[in-house]
Amino acid sequence: MLLVGERINGLFKDVAQAIQDHDPEPIQKLALEQTAAGAAYLDINTGPAVDEPEKVMPWLVKTVEEVVDTPLCIDSAKIPGLRAGLEAVSRSRPMINSTTAEPAHLEAYLPLAKAHGALLIGLAMNRRGVPKDAADRAGLAMEIVVAADAAGFPIEDLFIDPLVLPVNVGQEHGPEVLETLRQVKCLADPAPHTIVGLSNVSQKCPHRSLLNRTFLAMAMAAGLDAAIVDVEDRELVHTAAASRVLLNQVIYSDAFLENR
Amino acid sequence: MALSGLEIYKLTPKKNCRECGVATCMAFAMALANGKASADACPYLSPEAKAALGAAAEPPIRLVTIGKDQGKVEVGDEHVLFRHEKTFYHPTAIGITVADTRSSEEIRERVGRINELWFDRVGLCLSVNLVAVTDRGGDFAQAVRIAAEASSFPLVLVTRDPAKAAAALAAAGDRRPLLHGATAATLDAFLELAKEKGCPLTVGGALEELPELTERAAAGGFKDLVLAPAVGSTGEMLRTLTQIRRQALKKKFRPLGYPVLTEVTGDDPQDLAARASVAVAKYASVLLLDTVDPAVLLPLLTNRQDLYTDPQKPIQVEAKLWEVGSPDQDSPVYVTTNFSLTYFSVLTEIEASRIPSYLVTVDTDGTSVLTAWAAGKFGAEEIAQILEKTGAAEKVRHHKVIIPGYVAVLSGKLNQLSGWEVLVGPREATGIPNFARSRWRGEEVEAGAGSVSA
Amino acid sequence: MALEQALEKWTGKITEVTIGATREEGGTRSAKVVAGGESTLPFLTFEGEVPHQPVIAGEILDRYPEEWPSPLREAFGEDLKDPAAWARRWVEGYGAQLLCLRLASTAPDAGDASPEQAAATVRRVLEAVGAPLIILGSEDVEKDNAIFPKVAEAAAGERCFLGVVTKDNYKSIAAAAMLHGHGLIAQAPVDVNIQKQTNILLLEFGVKKDSILMDPTTGGLGYGLEYTYSVMERLRLGALQGEAQVAVPLILFPGAEAWRSKEAKESTQDSPRWGEQETRGVLWEILTGTNSLQAGGDILVCRHPEAAAALRRHVAELLV
Repeated sequence: MLLVGERINGLFKDVAQAIQDHDPEPIQKLALEQTAAGAAYLDINTGPAVDEPEKVMPWLVKTVEEVVDTPLCIDSAKIPGLRAGLEAVSRSRPMINSTTAEPAHLEAYLPLAKAHGALLIGLAMNRRGVPKDAADRAGLAMEIVVAADAAGFPIEDLFIDPLVLPVNVGQEHGPEVLETLRQVKCLADPAPHTIVGLSNVSQKCPHRSLLNRTFLAMAMAAGLDAAIVDVEDRELVHTAAASRVLLNQVIYSDAFLENR
Repeated sequence: MALSGLEIYKLTPKKNCRECGVATCMAFAMALANGKASADACPYLSPEAKAALGAAAEPPIRLVTIGKDQGKVEVGDEHVLFRHEKTFYHPTAIGITVADTRSSEEIRERVGRINELWFDRVGLCLSVNLVAVTDRGGDFAQAVRIAAEASSFPLVLVTRDPAKAAAALAAAGDRRPLLHGATAATLDAFLELAKEKGCPLTVGGALEELPELTERAAAGGFKDLVLAPAVGSTGEMLRTLTQIRRQALKKKFRPLGYPVLTEVTGDDPQDLAARASVAVAKYASVLLLDTVDPAVLLPLLTNRQDLYTDPQKPIQVEAKLWEVGSPDQDSPVYVTTNFSLTYFSVLTEIEASRIPSYLVTVDTDGTSVLTAWAAGKFGAEEIAQILEKTGAAEKVRHHKVIIPGYVAVLSGKLNQLSGWEVLVGPREATGIPNFARSRWRGEEVEAGAGSVSA
Repeated sequence: MALEQALEKWTGKITEVTIGATREEGGTRSAKVVAGGESTLPFLTFEGEVPHQPVIAGEILDRYPEEWPSPLREAFGEDLKDPAAWARRWVEGYGAQLLCLRLASTAPDAGDASPEQAAATVRRVLEAVGAPLIILGSEDVEKDNAIFPKVAEAAAGERCFLGVVTKDNYKSIAAAAMLHGHGLIAQAPVDVNIQKQTNILLLEFGVKKDSILMDPTTGGLGYGLEYTYSVMERLRLGALQGEAQVAVPLILFPGAEAWRSKEAKESTQDSPRWGEQETRGVLWEILTGTNSLQAGGDILVCRHPEAAAALRRHVAELLV
C-alpha cells in the first residue's frame, strides 16, 4: 500500500500562509513529519489561492527536497503548474496528479508524464463530470488505459482514481467506487494501479478518521494500491498495515504494525 | 486464462456498431473481460480473434500424454511459477536413455535395470517413468523393438532422422511414444508421422526459433507438442526454462504454452544429479537421463517427490508401531502424530539418541502435535486406541509410554484409559536424545532397583 | 522471431554481508567472504544482479564426530580429532573459503565443555587458518548464553558470525556479538512469520542489517525439504518485493541435514537396491544443497568435501 501524504496543499491554511510568506519552515516540517509517519509520496499542491502555480511550484518542490528524499506527487489543475513542478523535481521519480479521461487532457498529460518518466494518476471522469455507477467509471478508466497503451505509456505506471465522494452527500457512490476498483484490475495485464483521495469520503462529517480508515480497508480488499491520505492519522496507517497483512500482501510478523 | 479488457479490445473491429447491444467496442471488451458478455454477440470478430478468445479458455500450458493405458505419463498443465502459490501438478517425467549401438543383450540388460529403478518411500512408490531409446547410428528400429518388449514404461524415441523414426514407429507406434525430435528442418516430416500414429512430438531449437515451429504445427492442427529448447550451461537451462514458463503463464504466450523436455548427460554422477535437480525444481516436464545408478535415482526421485508434494496437503506416514533400531522388551515407547515432518523429526532424534526404541504414530490426518491435539485428533482416547491396536503391550514389559511435552495435559486420562504409565517427553523433538540419555536411563535404573528390592 | 523477455521488476535487494575481517579491518583473516547483494531470483541474471556467488562453507566440530557415517569420517581421517587440523584440511586440502565451527562439546549432555575451553578452541582454529569463521553453539539456550560472551571476546575483531539466536533467546549473544564486532545467525523453525519477527527483534535491538544471516531451518532432502523449500522461496520473494526485514542472506546446512537421513547413513550391504552408500550419501548432501540454492540460499555449510566441491562446480555452472 502506497500512502501519499496530503498535507502540503494550499487548501490547508498553514500551507497557504507559508506560501504567502515564502516561509520554508512549516512546509519542511510537514515534509519531515509525513515522511516519518510512513508517507511513500508527498502530494504537493499550491492550492486554489495561487493564480499562477508555475511561480510557486518550483519553490515548494525545492523546499521539500531540501529536507527529504521522499518522492513527490505534483498536484495541479493547470499544465504550467505541473510542468514547472516536474522540472523542479531532482530527487526521485515523480507522480502526476492528475489527468481525466477527456481526450484533450490525455493528449497533453500522457506525453508530459512520459517525458518526465513520471507515474500518472487518471481520474475516472470527463467533462460531463463524475459518473454515477461503476460501469461508467470503469468505461472511462478503459479509455485512459487504451489511450496510454496507444501512447506507449506503461500501463503499470498508471494509477486510476475512481473518485471518492463525501458519504454525507454521495452515499450511493461508495459501493460503486469499490466495484470500479475490482473492474479496473481486469482492464489490462499487467493491470493499472489504483488510487483514491481518501479524505474526501468524510468531508464535513464527524468521526472522520473512523470513516476514512474503514473505507480504506474496504477499498484495499477491492484492489486499492495507493491512497492520498492524512498519514499522521496513526489509526489509519495502522489500518493499512493490518489490511496488508490480512490480504497476504506482506509476510505476517508479530511486529506487523511497524511494517510499512 | 482470461484475457484482459485491453487485449480483447484489440481484437474487436473497433467500429462501435452497437450490434452486440453495447454502446462501444471498448465497453463490449470490458463486458467480455468481466464475464458479462459472450464473444458470439459480436458478428464482426475475425476468425483469428475468435481463436484467440477460444484459446484463452484453454490451460496456459498444454497437457500432453505419453504412452497409453495404465503406464501413461501426463506432463504439462502447470499453473504457477512457485509451488506455494498453489502446487505443481504433473511431476517431471524421468526417462532413462538406452543407446541403439548396444547389443541386443545389452539393451535388454539395461532396460531390465531401468525397470528396477523404483523405491518405496513414506508408503509411496517412487519410480522412473520412461525408457528413451537413442539413435547413435545403430539399428534404431530393432533397439526400439527390444526396449518395447522388455519394458512396460512408455517410450521416447530419440532420433533426428524422420526415416528412422518411421521405422521405429512401425515397431512401437501403437504405444504412443514421444517422438524426440523434430527441428526446423525436419518438422514437416515428423508432423506427418506424429499425426499418423497419434504420438506426441518434441520440437527442438533455440528458444527464439521455437514459437515459429509450434505455430506451424498448430496451424496444421497438431498440438501434442513438447518443447526441447537447446541449452548449454546449467544456468542457461535454468534461465531458458524459466523464460518459457513465464511466457506461458505471465504473458499467456500460446506458442510456448507446452511442456518442456531437457536432457542431462555426463560422466560425473554428481554434476549430472546436480543439474538434473535444477531441471526438476525449475520447470522441466520431461527429463532424460543417461544413468541407471540407483544411488543417483533415489535422491533425484526423492527430490521430485519433495517439490511436487502439494504444500497444502501434508504427507502422512502410516499409523502404526515403528521399530527404530532393534528394540527389545525394555526399549522406550514414544508416541507422536503421523504427519511426515513430525514423524521424521522424532525418528531422526530417536536415532540420534542411539537407544533402540518403538515409535507409535497416531492417525491425525497428517497434522502436527499441537494442531492435532487442538483438533481433537491426538487425545488420550486416540493414543490409548493405537497402543491397544498395535499390541504395544506385548512388545515391552515396562508399560511406560513417552508423550510429547506439548500434550502433558493428557497424562492422567491416558493413564486411566490405557493403564500405561505416562512419561512426559520434551516439547521439541530435538530434546529427545537428552531426554533418552538422562530421563529414560533414570527410569531404567529405577526399574532395576525396584526389581532387586522385589 | 524476436522474443520479448518476460521480466519481473523487483524493488528489493538482499543486503550484502561480509564475513571475516582482514588486518586492515582489525582482524587477522587472510581474506573475507561477501554474501548476498542479489536483486533477482537465484541465478536469473537476465533481470537483476547476482554480485556474489553463493558461498560453500566447510563444517568442523570441536570433538571427534563418532556418530557420523563412515563416508564422512573417511574423508577427513585422523584430522577429525583436532579441530585445527580439520580446519586446515578443509582450507588447504579442499579449498574452503569459509568455515563453520560447531561447538558441539559444549552441550551439557555431550561433554559440557566450559566457556573458556570453547574460547580456546575458537582461538586455535582462528590461528590455524586464515579463512573467516562461523561459530555455532550447541543450541542449548543457557549454555550458548554462557559460552558466547567468552567466544566473542576470544575472536574480537574477526567478524565471525555467531549462532544461533532465536526470537526467545538473542539478547546476550547479540550483545556479545555487537561488543566484539561479530554478526549473528537468526534462526526460526520453518516459519516465515517467526523468521521475519526474529529479524525485526534483532534490528530493534540494534543489530545492523549487514550483520544478520537467517537460518529458516532447512530440512534435508526427503525430510522436510518440501516445507523448507517454499519457506525459503517465500522469504526471498518477499525480500525482492521490498520487505526489507527479510532481505538478508540465507544460510543453510545441507551437510548436517543430509547426513542425518537414513538414505545417507545406510550401508551398501544393508540396502543394496539403493546403490553405493558413498555416492548416495554425497548426492543426498549435494541435492539438499542444489535445492537450497534454487530457493535462495546464499551460504551452504557442507560436511563432505566432495559435496562441497560439486556444489562449487554447480554454482559456477549456474552463473555461466
